[in-house]
Amino acid sequence: MDKKMLKRTRFFISIVMIIFIILSSRLAYLQIIQYDYYWVRAEKNRLRIMPITAPRGEIFDSSGRQLVTNRPGFTVSLVDLGKGYSAETISRLSGLLDMEEREIREKIQLQFYRRYLPIRLKTDIDMETVAQISEHRLELPGVLIEVQPIRNYVLDDFAPHIVGYLGEGTVHGWVAEHWEENDYHYQPGDLVGQAGLEMVWEPFLRGNDGGLQVEVNSTGQAIREFERVDPEPGYDLHLTIDAELQLKVQEALQEAVQKQLEEENNLYAGEAAAVMLDPHSGRILAMASIPSFNPNTFRQDFPELARDARRPLVNKAIEEHYPGGSAYKMVTSIAALEEGVVSRNERVHCPGTITRYGATKSCFRGHAHGRISIFEAIQKSCNIFFFEMGLRLGIDNLAYYSRQFGFGNQVGLNDVFGEKKGIVASREYKRSVYNEPWYPAETMDTAIGQSYQSNTMLQMANYTAMIANGGKHYRPYLVERVVDGHGQTVMMAEPELVYYMDVSESNWETVRTGMSAVTLPGGTAARLADLPVSIAGKTGTAQVVGMDRDIPPHSLFVAYAPVEAPEVALAVIVKHGGTGGATAVPVAREILMHYFGLEEEVVPEEHDLQGEEVIE
Amino acid sequence: MFDRRLFKNFDYQLLLIMIVLCLYGLLVISSSTQGLDAADPYAYVRKQALWMAMGMAALLVVISIDYVNYYRWAWYFYAGNLFFLTIVLFIGREGVGAQRWIDLGVFDFQPSELAKVIMVIVLARLLVDYEDRINNLVYTLPSFIYVIVPMLLIFLQPDLGTAMVFIVILFGMLYMAGTPVKNLLAYAGAGLAAFPFFWSYLLPYQRMRLIVFLNPELDPLRQGYQLMQSIIAIGSGGLQGKGLYEGTQARLQFLPEQHTDFIFSVLGEELGFIGGIVLLALYFLLIYRVLKIASFSKDAFGALLCTGVATLISFQVLVNIGMTLSIMPVTGLPLPFMSYGGNSLLVNMISIGLVLNVGMRRHKIQF
Repeated sequence: MDKKMLKRTRFFISIVMIIFIILSSRLAYLQIIQYDYYWVRAEKNRLRIMPITAPRGEIFDSSGRQLVTNRPGFTVSLVDLGKGYSAETISRLSGLLDMEEREIREKIQLQFYRRYLPIRLKTDIDMETVAQISEHRLELPGVLIEVQPIRNYVLDDFAPHIVGYLGEGTVHGWVAEHWEENDYHYQPGDLVGQAGLEMVWEPFLRGNDGGLQVEVNSTGQAIREFERVDPEPGYDLHLTIDAELQLKVQEALQEAVQKQLEEENNLYAGEAAAVMLDPHSGRILAMASIPSFNPNTFRQDFPELARDARRPLVNKAIEEHYPGGSAYKMVTSIAALEEGVVSRNERVHCPGTITRYGATKSCFRGHAHGRISIFEAIQKSCNIFFFEMGLRLGIDNLAYYSRQFGFGNQVGLNDVFGEKKGIVASREYKRSVYNEPWYPAETMDTAIGQSYQSNTMLQMANYTAMIANGGKHYRPYLVERVVDGHGQTVMMAEPELVYYMDVSESNWETVRTGMSAVTLPGGTAARLADLPVSIAGKTGTAQVVGMDRDIPPHSLFVAYAPVEAPEVALAVIVKHGGTGGATAVPVAREILMHYFGLEEEVVPEEHDLQGEEVIE
Repeated sequence: MFDRRLFKNFDYQLLLIMIVLCLYGLLVISSSTQGLDAADPYAYVRKQALWMAMGMAALLVVISIDYVNYYRWAWYFYAGNLFFLTIVLFIGREGVGAQRWIDLGVFDFQPSELAKVIMVIVLARLLVDYEDRINNLVYTLPSFIYVIVPMLLIFLQPDLGTAMVFIVILFGMLYMAGTPVKNLLAYAGAGLAAFPFFWSYLLPYQRMRLIVFLNPELDPLRQGYQLMQSIIAIGSGGLQGKGLYEGTQARLQFLPEQHTDFIFSVLGEELGFIGGIVLLALYFLLIYRVLKIASFSKDAFGALLCTGVATLISFQVLVNIGMTLSIMPVTGLPLPFMSYGGNSLLVNMISIGLVLNVGMRRHKIQF
């Protein structure tokens, strides 16, 4: 080693020496000079952190009506006073809170690493328990009652599939990452969104918890405050949903289901769904799924909800898919017109029943429509016409146009999780699932919305909107605006065009004209003929294959209105509700009457059910 | 087999000091982890002892290869290091705080720990290669690039403390390599001047981390609280301490990371001023021996390896103990040989292996 390096090594070692002298002096200062002071501090170490839970962001409808808010509630917590928790305290608490001792011990164990924080045992306890605990405060050392915000779903079972609910549980994926970035660490006992908006928007809804550094006395009551960090409330969500309309949709669906169950003795009924959106933006105005549940009492009701065969927790508008039946026939119509296999003037002969490829298929009740154009075929839902179109097009064309309309893939709703892709009937699908070749008879079924074709109600609403707006597929959304604690808008939704389907305007017009005739006398939804608003629609009666022959078909209806300047697109399904005209159309009628403010003007009248369509 | 001279030149004192430090660490770990694992009170001690055994094995491997070879392999080490630091950002599992690990099934591998010793080897080679231009302010600059790349990768984890270690190692080794002091001051000045630029590229939460790093009182509910509890623990230990396993602060788990980052607080409470001074003396002896070997080494590469290791250990001791005594900001740097955690122990033992290696081969072997 050269001289210079040696010199520098000496300098280095003297620096290290200085560092060690500083550390030793500090150590001596704390342990020898300040010993008495710190010894007392340690003996009476009653400094604790009391977290202050930030109020969660509230949720409002499109008109500013409060849907989800917070109310104060009492929480029982345990604070470690330096000696752990006595078996007596635990056993008494177990009795008072109706919790098993094992459960309390588990919660204590979970917080082993953070003993300086209170352990939250039970939230939202009733006043009686609060009184009992306060009375026995001296015999329950370390037991605290804190006031905490409790989530309140103002309208109970209002759109629970959209709103979601909270629960204790871990967080995953991007939510966890987002928190990590914002320096928030999930702690056992924290309530987090488990479904719906509450889950997807968790990072925005959750505020930043604050806290207090306090000194507690021998019973665990805070007697002195040292440091305080105020909580920051979460962001509020303003939805595209109109609460009045949503309630009406839920009510109309519920009534239809009730009618099937009670009046028709239909044991298969009980489930229904509807989606209504703005065809010019993708804003979802209403989205309902029946049966429903109440997020306020979700935790108590859970065992029953989980057992229910009708699966109330599932959002049937996006998480399940069904055959579209005749409501799907506009896909076939657009395909046939665009591919030029039919003209708007051509008439196809409908004898009522045909036999092709060894299968005999017919129109509703074998009714013969005679020589019929595409307009009348849509209006009267003639199956024979569409069988012919299907055969002219072939399955590959049908599948192509189906995908153009957004079927077979998520429509793109990101504000809640769980949107399903549905199924586009195609050679590839059959090959991959059944490993069988495609049969022409299946092409005929596909042309009328049966065979393997299966769609979510959101897809059906989006496809109807695309007919109304001329091929624009907008991303559907539920959150219009996000507002922070100071009332500043931090995020504003903008319509997003996901896909544009290029179809000639005259072909759109042909289909629209056919759909407009559906709601006129002679159409399958003639029940809507008396409304002063012009409505374009299409009924569907979707046979459920592969099951009991007597099982009632799904009742569907899709519509947009007003025809001249569409404001809304709607899709309704009443599962196993019978024909489209009989069950889904009256539901749509109520919804549209509410939307257009016609409830008082129009007296609903009974129509006979002629012209109802069904396959086979 | 080994030349006899290798044994003759072997620094048994250094090895002994290191082993005593490890055992001292095991003792304090056994106290600070009581009750963490209800089934087996010695689970943590057992694990750490196993790591110590692996560390000894690694140390033997390190010393059995002539350190001249490490000069040759330096760039392979560097490449491997960058590789691991990159993949950990994608496949890494996040532990407490922000450190990232790669789950290897049997144990968790923490590339940022290994990066410390690799950086020492790489810089030793680089500065030997720079011998002719070490006086030149500009030509020495590329060494910064070699440090900044892995540093940024670690910063992304994000682990600010470990990233800081790199800068300190670089400055320590530049100084020992003979860089003029005025040049070092110029680099430091430039670094400070570039800070606002760097700052503008940070995300808000990263800025917040830096702010809290500089001023822990801004976070009174977590770091501020932890620091206060640490001081109470140490101060209440007094001259003799409350006795092993007797610390009330430790028993209450007031210090969430008491067996890792805050192990010195437990030691201070239970073994008192005497226990603390013994530990500091052991560290001083260790660093002294390392620098002694540096001064004996046969070449500049060996000397730089030793000074790199000395810098690494002294800086971590300063920052960690300084943190528990509340004279340094809170960072996640472990206390060498003492903190619970296998990766850190293993890497520290490997770095002592490097120093022993240099010491053993201080004279040219004659056949």
